[in-house]
Amino acid sequence: MTTAAPSRDAKAGPGAGTPGVPATSGRRIAGALLHDWAAVLSTGFLALVVLMAVCAPLITALTGHGPNDFDAAAIDTNLGGLPRGSLGGVSAEHLFGVEPQNGRDVFARIMYGARVSFLIAISATVLTTLLGVVFGMLAGFYGGWADQVISRVMDFLMAFPSLIFMIAILSSLPSGNRAVLLVVVISVFGWPYLARVVRGQTLTLVNREFVEAARASGASTGALVFKEILPNLRSSLIVMTTLAVPGYIGTEAGLSFLGVGVTPPTPSWGQMIASSVSWYAVDPMYFAIPGLFLFLTVLSLTVLGDRIRAVTDAGEAS
Amino acid sequence: MARYLAGRIAGLVLILFMVCLFTYLIFFKLSPDPAVMICGKTCTPERILQIRTLLGLDQPFFTQFWDFLSGLFAGRDYGSGANLIHCPAPCLGYSFQTSQSVWEMILDRLPVSATVAVGAAVLWLVIGIGAGLLSAVREGTWWDRTTMGLALGGASIPNYVLALALQYVLVVKLQILPFPSAVAFSDGPLLWLQSYLMPWIVLATGYACLYARLTRANVIDTLAENFMRTARSKGLAPVLTMRRHALRPALTPITTIFGMDFAALLGGALITETVFGLNGVGKMAADSIAKNDQPVIMAVTLLAAFFVVVGNVVVDLVYTGLDPRVRIR
Amino acid sequence: MRRSAVLATVAVFTALALTGCGGASAPASGAGGSATGAAAASTGGTVHVLLTADYSHLDPARGWDGGVNNFYRLIYRGLTTFGAGPGAEGTKIVPDLATTTGTGSDDNKTWTFTLKDDIFFEDGTPITSEAMKFGVERAWDPEAGIGSPYARLLIDAPKDYKGPYVSGDLDTIETPDAKTIVFHLKKSFADFASALAQPNFVPFPKGSGAAGAFDTKPIASGPYKVESYQRGASLKLVRNPYWKASSDTLRPAKADGFEFTFGLDGATIDERMLAGQGADANATAGAIQAATVARIQTPQIKERTLSGYMGCTTYMSLNTTKKPLGDVRVRQAINYAVNKDTVVAGDGGTTLADKATSIQPPTIVGRVDYDPYPTDPAKAQQLLDDAGLGDGFDLTLDVRPDPRQQGMAVAIQEALKPLKINVKINNIDTSTFYEVIATPAQQHDAAITGWCPDWSSGATFLPPLFDGRNIFDKGNQNLAQINDEAINKRIDEIGAMTDVNAANAAYAELDKQIMEQAPIVPLVYEKNVTIVGGNVAGAYLNDAFSGGIDFISLGLKDPGK
Repeated sequence: MTTAAPSRDAKAGPGAGTPGVPATSGRRIAGALLHDWAAVLSTGFLALVVLMAVCAPLITALTGHGPNDFDAAAIDTNLGGLPRGSLGGVSAEHLFGVEPQNGRDVFARIMYGARVSFLIAISATVLTTLLGVVFGMLAGFYGGWADQVISRVMDFLMAFPSLIFMIAILSSLPSGNRAVLLVVVISVFGWPYLARVVRGQTLTLVNREFVEAARASGASTGALVFKEILPNLRSSLIVMTTLAVPGYIGTEAGLSFLGVGVTPPTPSWGQMIASSVSWYAVDPMYFAIPGLFLFLTVLSLTVLGDRIRAVTDAGEAS
Repeated sequence: MARYLAGRIAGLVLILFMVCLFTYLIFFKLSPDPAVMICGKTCTPERILQIRTLLGLDQPFFTQFWDFLSGLFAGRDYGSGANLIHCPAPCLGYSFQTSQSVWEMILDRLPVSATVAVGAAVLWLVIGIGAGLLSAVREGTWWDRTTMGLALGGASIPNYVLALALQYVLVVKLQILPFPSAVAFSDGPLLWLQSYLMPWIVLATGYACLYARLTRANVIDTLAENFMRTARSKGLAPVLTMRRHALRPALTPITTIFGMDFAALLGGALITETVFGLNGVGKMAADSIAKNDQPVIMAVTLLAAFFVVVGNVVVDLVYTGLDPRVRIR
Repeated sequence: MRRSAVLATVAVFTALALTGCGGASAPASGAGGSATGAAAASTGGTVHVLLTADYSHLDPARGWDGGVNNFYRLIYRGLTTFGAGPGAEGTKIVPDLATTTGTGSDDNKTWTFTLKDDIFFEDGTPITSEAMKFGVERAWDPEAGIGSPYARLLIDAPKDYKGPYVSGDLDTIETPDAKTIVFHLKKSFADFASALAQPNFVPFPKGSGAAGAFDTKPIASGPYKVESYQRGASLKLVRNPYWKASSDTLRPAKADGFEFTFGLDGATIDERMLAGQGADANATAGAIQAATVARIQTPQIKERTLSGYMGCTTYMSLNTTKKPLGDVRVRQAINYAVNKDTVVAGDGGTTLADKATSIQPPTIVGRVDYDPYPTDPAKAQQLLDDAGLGDGFDLTLDVRPDPRQQGMAVAIQEALKPLKINVKINNIDTSTFYEVIATPAQQHDAAITGWCPDWSSGATFLPPLFDGRNIFDKGNQNLAQINDEAINKRIDEIGAMTDVNAANAAYAELDKQIMEQAPIVPLVYEKNVTIVGGNVAGAYLNDAFSGGIDFISLGLKDPGK
């Protein structure tokens, strides 16, 4: 299940190289990416999706179709609510067609669904990064029993069949605020993958000459952590977080697909795909549109993460 | 070596114990009353109480947890008199919703999950490593670039999207495959192959893409290492160099990851099994979650954790055997 | 007293215990209900059944819904059962193991039945009155007796009786000889023959079936027995060699066996049924998905389609204990305001549902068709103004998060908007929905739910939902929490009637009397539409089993195929 282990890609990546010289600068990364057509395309697509997500209320106000507005005229209730017109009811009125059975505008739901997906994925990434960095550095910096405890907790969490467990927890919890629950649950099982890498790198950094020197000259622990070690973790953190976002988008969509994600009528891509399952033979567009958006978004983020990694790796090698 | 092994097994038991405790605690605290689910439609408060007693739900947490643990090793009895239900060791619990011991249910479903996992694993190993090797040897060519591009794309398709897309094209439109189902091999090898082909492809795609990229990266790294240069400078033929010196170090890390991935799959490919309606452990987990059949959810969680943890140990052992650089003191 | 299988089954993956679905009465859609039943079945062959979810329990004391009750008739026989045929035939009560539908005496407090000859269990032992008695006693077992409650409700028993495994014999069921069985009831009950058609009045050899044994290995008394069963995956039935056709006028038992496949995706089942290739030509399935409606319009498929009422009513309850809803004018206003046509559209359109006007669905005997609240927004506004709520109010509606329920909820939301009633749709997970709405402390203002009768009479429809003395803290079914003295009194009066037909007519009047109080808004009568394999013969929909395809009459046209 590729959706279950969001950071698995990362373990083959930055953990391999030890950061030597202080990290590659943001400007250099950007410069290198500009010359890569795949990266440019990905960035373009992501910018479009983000724009759609941000401007969703504005655009739906223009089209006049909100994400939860039923449009009985767009569907044929005698045929079980099949959208009228070809390609799932694609028309000037409904750019991506309408949902069968209720005539909700697919375009509006894609935009609002993007909001949900990105919000959850980015929040989860922030939370996992925070947890991962704090615990990873604690373990790597102090070593000893702190390291022992944190490492055991990480082993324990990584041994958990997270997908089954996430579904079990989410389905038994009261449905309250599902988005927050999703972020918490994803983060709890996600941080060890990042913390493991951070711990490893911190462990090597602590014994480096420049850290030893800073320590000898009487720098406080805080200064050591924030001035010497953290900046050196930056490039691997950039790579890992860019690769984590698509993983979490996939996880959120997967959980929503299984019916334990955000609750309807709040739109989410995974949930749209889930409800399109029974319609795929009659109205393939209903399935194809959210499927394509999910696929392209994950792909774009993965390509971007991959290219950033290539650039930073090259930077370190030089 | 023996001491190392003993240590690893002790750690394994500890982690499994923690998983048990944690899972039990979560369900104990969070989930709705299982007695209500078992009670059925004509439930009365007295009946709920009776069921709670029968299941031991009226006991304090640690007593319940202890009953569960001891049941694992010594078996367990529910109820009394003529209605006594004996659940022999290893008793992972008894599902009152299906009137079956959970262990029996899992044994029933495991063959399907194993078939899905093994078939997919063969597919992704062959395709992933093959494509990765070819790309590494032809680094920088159009073949390399195309393969790696496809690998990125393939790894980005959520498997349920791929599953539905394939089903639409191959089964509904072109009608070249039947709808997937858990056909037994004895029903005819061809039908068996056709029925499982799509689940295998869907499950293998993501892994194959990842393995292709990993293999390529590892082989390229190895080829650049000093001992390889030496080997080549000795005048060994490229194919021979590849076989004798590069493959083993390059593929060792893949073994590690494969072990983990495969172990995780044995616990049930939940999404794939659900989408295709294959009655494996994963689908059972999904169904049980929908019915809130707690003993089953608990057991599947534990089983999956067991596979992951044991897989971890096995991988480490294999690793030490494969890689001369890692030796246990 | 049962929620419909459709409405009650817990399902994240929309798995549904609905077994066969449809109804030969072919109401509004007019699709020929008996089209596929026309060709005669030949003897032999195996009928396949494709289902999304496994049956709840093979033990008839445990399982109890339209789907599994239908299945039970293949392997079990009771004293009486429902008729085998489309339309009214299916809701008629006929003798099965008994020679007649029973003789009542002592003001219908004592009922006597005589068993037929030549009746045997699957191992060849004869079915005696003692086995019958034992089977009924199982209903009191605290663990097994979770199915139909009618044995416990009607038959007199000591308060602390806990079934044959714990407490032993029950004295109030007598077996004077091997062929005669006498039941002593708590009070006079004229329609006891109907209650006996419940699935747990089935014989078992004395002492068998403890500890859930029948859920995996039942002991058959009907024409088929279980050959192999893998929970959630497959179930194979083969002929019970000791079943004698001469003793069973109801079951033609043409097929040599049945093969059930569970756990399939609903859309996949529909695809397979539409294609009808290979063994799927010998298959029947559950209700089609809304998505498939568009594809059954061709003549070839229409010919293989059955359609009919499920015999249930989907309604919106109005919680009379909540402030604005305590006023009958407000409840009536909502009844006038809800546009049933848009509700039907939200539920999947006219192929899958008809609009509901009365509480009792059309399949109930004696039910009268009437519409107390035709859609009339102006009248609704007037009533609200009279109640001093012309400026509207907030209303929280509990719904399950599945597309059809959502569709109905939004249609209601839209319809109430002009009255400035702001409907807040509150989604509750399917797995906990019924627990929440059946707990008065947790239920909100309104809920969309449904009810199916246990047999075709108002007796199992109106009293459980509207008797004011049946409001419980947990497991409450009177969702409106209406406690009206006149209604309660009428329920008792009808319950005491000895003429079943008169009682049914009286329930039709009670239906009107209750709707004057408007405790609920009847929304739709859902229909079952189901596709039958091309080689299947004898298929019709039986109203007694939520409109499922009656299994006992199924066979194959050409068993060689």
